Amino acid sequence: MLAYTLRRLLAIVPTLLVVIASVYVLLFSAPGGPFDSEKAVSAAVLANLQAKYRLDLPLWQQYLHYLSNLLHGDLGASFRYADWSVNDLVADALPISLTIGGTAIALSLVIGVVLGSLAALRQNSWIDVSVMLLGNLGSVFPSFVIAPVLVLIFSLWLRWLPSGGWNDFEPRFMILPIALLTFINVATIGRVMRGSLVEVLHSHFIRTARAKGLSLRLIVVRHALKPALLPVVSVLGPLAISSITAALVTETVFSLPGIGRLVVNGAANRDYTLILGLVVLITLVVVTLNLIVDLLYAVLDPRIRY
Amino acid sequence: MKNLLGAVTLELPVSRGCLKFIMLFFMVNTLGLQQPGAAVVPAGVTLHSTQTIIRNNGSEPESLDPALIESAGAANIVRDLFEPLTANDARGKIVPGVAERWSQSDALTWVFKLRPNAKWSNGDPVVAQDFVFGIRRLLDPKTASKYAHTFGDFFANGKDVANGKKPVSELGIKAIDKTTLEIRTETPITFMPGLLANPNLAPIHSKALETHGKDWTKPGNLVSNGAFVLKQWQVNSKVILEKNPQYWDALQVQLNQVTYLPVEDGNADVKLFETGENDWVYQLPPGSFEKTLQKYPAETRNSPMLGLRYYSFQTQSAFFRDVRVRKALSMVIDRDLLSQRVTADGQTPAYGLFVKGLEGAEVAAYDWAQWPMAKRVADAKLLLQEAGVKPGAKFTFIYNTSDYHKKMAIFAASEWKTKLGLQVELEAMEFKVLLKRRHDGNFEMARNGWIADYNDATTFLALVKCDSDQNNNFNCNREAEALIQQGSQQTDPAKRSALFTKATELVMADYPIIPLLQYSLPRLVKSYVGGYSTENVMDRFRSKDLYIIKH
Repeated sequence: MLAYTLRRLLAIVPTLLVVIASVYVLLFSAPGGPFDSEKAVSAAVLANLQAKYRLDLPLWQQYLHYLSNLLHGDLGASFRYADWSVNDLVADALPISLTIGGTAIALSLVIGVVLGSLAALRQNSWIDVSVMLLGNLGSVFPSFVIAPVLVLIFSLWLRWLPSGGWNDFEPRFMILPIALLTFINVATIGRVMRGSLVEVLHSHFIRTARAKGLSLRLIVVRHALKPALLPVVSVLGPLAISSITAALVTETVFSLPGIGRLVVNGAANRDYTLILGLVVLITLVVVTLNLIVDLLYAVLDPRIRY
Repeated sequence: MKNLLGAVTLELPVSRGCLKFIMLFFMVNTLGLQQPGAAVVPAGVTLHSTQTIIRNNGSEPESLDPALIESAGAANIVRDLFEPLTANDARGKIVPGVAERWSQSDALTWVFKLRPNAKWSNGDPVVAQDFVFGIRRLLDPKTASKYAHTFGDFFANGKDVANGKKPVSELGIKAIDKTTLEIRTETPITFMPGLLANPNLAPIHSKALETHGKDWTKPGNLVSNGAFVLKQWQVNSKVILEKNPQYWDALQVQLNQVTYLPVEDGNADVKLFETGENDWVYQLPPGSFEKTLQKYPAETRNSPMLGLRYYSFQTQSAFFRDVRVRKALSMVIDRDLLSQRVTADGQTPAYGLFVKGLEGAEVAAYDWAQWPMAKRVADAKLLLQEAGVKPGAKFTFIYNTSDYHKKMAIFAASEWKTKLGLQVELEAMEFKVLLKRRHDGNFEMARNGWIADYNDATTFLALVKCDSDQNNNFNCNREAEALIQQGSQQTDPAKRSALFTKATELVMADYPIIPLLQYSLPRLVKSYVGGYSTENVMDRFRSKDLYIIKH
């Protein structure tokens, strides 16, 4: 398993190189550049700007420069946020996104598994119907619809929580965004868990366990839960990754200074270095998450060995 | 988000003979000492116990370095941090800043007398050399400022310095002594005091810059000379400013703390206002003006701005090469309907290049603006017929993706379809792509807009001048160009205005653009915020002029 993990970690290097090269090509072939603004700049100023950011070099040289800086842990200077380096921006924004995204994933895992299991065990009861309704609502309504409803209820009507903003990890600013992401994720996890547990409970080995006269509680906890969690673990990876894309919406609606805002502003402003830095970061997160999921499979399923 | 700062690059060649002539007649013009106009709290108004304000600024500032800022939002913050030679007061009027008075020793030389008690936030005196350093740095090619030419070209040798052809030491700015600054120009710049109110032309504390290098604008490092100092800056979250006790006019500054938010989403902005987490909504989201006005009649403010919403013709494209076609399309758009029913946010119809409130030229309108619509349509049809454009002909209109622009474009397209039988293909795209296509001339008709950098006709003339970087319509009227150049040499405001007005009439007869609406900024400001004025056509509000009324 250690050798497997190391192999997977080593595979990150070529993945990153390919990703960076593709982003380079995409960025530079997108029409419009970082220095196009309502106020047109003269050729002389444009030349100065390009020289300042090394954009006057041939593309391959820029690429090599970028890689060399990356090896030294330097993600470069931002175009959109001229006073900050990409390292500064990521260092400030990442903990915020991780706290909100991580808490939401953890909460939704616990709540989703509990609700999904309850629904599976009490199939076709009112609990099942409510969980499925919740699951369907969470899947049907996009985050940009749910978020303003949450704000309407908790900020404007009840006046319990701020409608947005951020103040140094103060919990009251985090509750609504975490609640929103949790709600969306619970919808998926709950539905998957329910379906998976129902299926496991109908399998032969559970029938055998029942025939042996084991209590339902023991059967579920000791025998059914582990295999039923496998599909949940498979969706966990993509779900965590989709939390990054969901952050684009949540962070805009709740005015949070996280990674999502940087992605949106970086892309709209053709901030090449910022986008590249974020892509490198997100690639690393995705690759690591996939690795964790694969390793978890081995823990949960005795048939899988690396 | 649109950039609310327009700009201009002027090229004003000088004839030496003409200059001598002007100078002979030139009277030394000295402005008397004026009231600096800080927060004037009217009698009977009781101030609130805490003097703090939260202003949404519409977007995250791209920088707090006076030389690098370009958006209206960044300029708002930098205007509080740094004080240039002059400033705009709450009503937009030009008032003294660090300069307490100024005079012209001849048509091309301005002398600014700095107040001796002006100080930096670290206690150092603000001296003339700080302005020389700041303005030279703005033009220095190494700084790579996008505003190098916008303002730099007005200074003697400015263009060459910004292009790297001359050293910065040759720029037309000189410290005579600690409190006397001399600025030389290449042509008479009658609006120089107004121009100098731009925060790009602020002084810079050279030692602070040297000590901290690229981190000089960070909290704790930034040394500023304005009414406020930088306390905290968290990207995409907030910028917090604190009253500067060293500021020369600190006694008149009421606010102790100003928080700038970078909320881009208009709906989120309004919600923050409604829950009391924001005192100032940057701009109401499209389509919400009337509803908001009913809900918050006292707090909805709508100020006309020196800005024009217009559509650009690519006058060299096959479809729009003929001026008759361009004229016909401009004539049939019902601006009243557009302003009252489509955008419905208090913006007013525009029928010319210049907008109301602009100084330096007459605001002229096309004569057909007064005609009944039926006559306008009949004439337009005739023009199209003469130009050989048949009903059913098709052209493409490009705009950047936004509900607001889309609504306006659909209205315009329906006007052209129902009144003239023309087919319009609407093509939405990213803002950066639109900018590129407009700049390259790769379009037939494109959405456009312009906000003045300073209150003078020349800022709008940049849109139609022959070799201007801002001319997206690719039309060039040599006769008008000659008049603009003559006007630029004039020191008599009446003659200058007449020349610019005439030049504009000539250009507008070419129909390079379709003027549509004069910008306004519909926003919400809490009723307890004192010092706000809807007369401020430049939308420049120093926090120094604001105060919080007891509530």
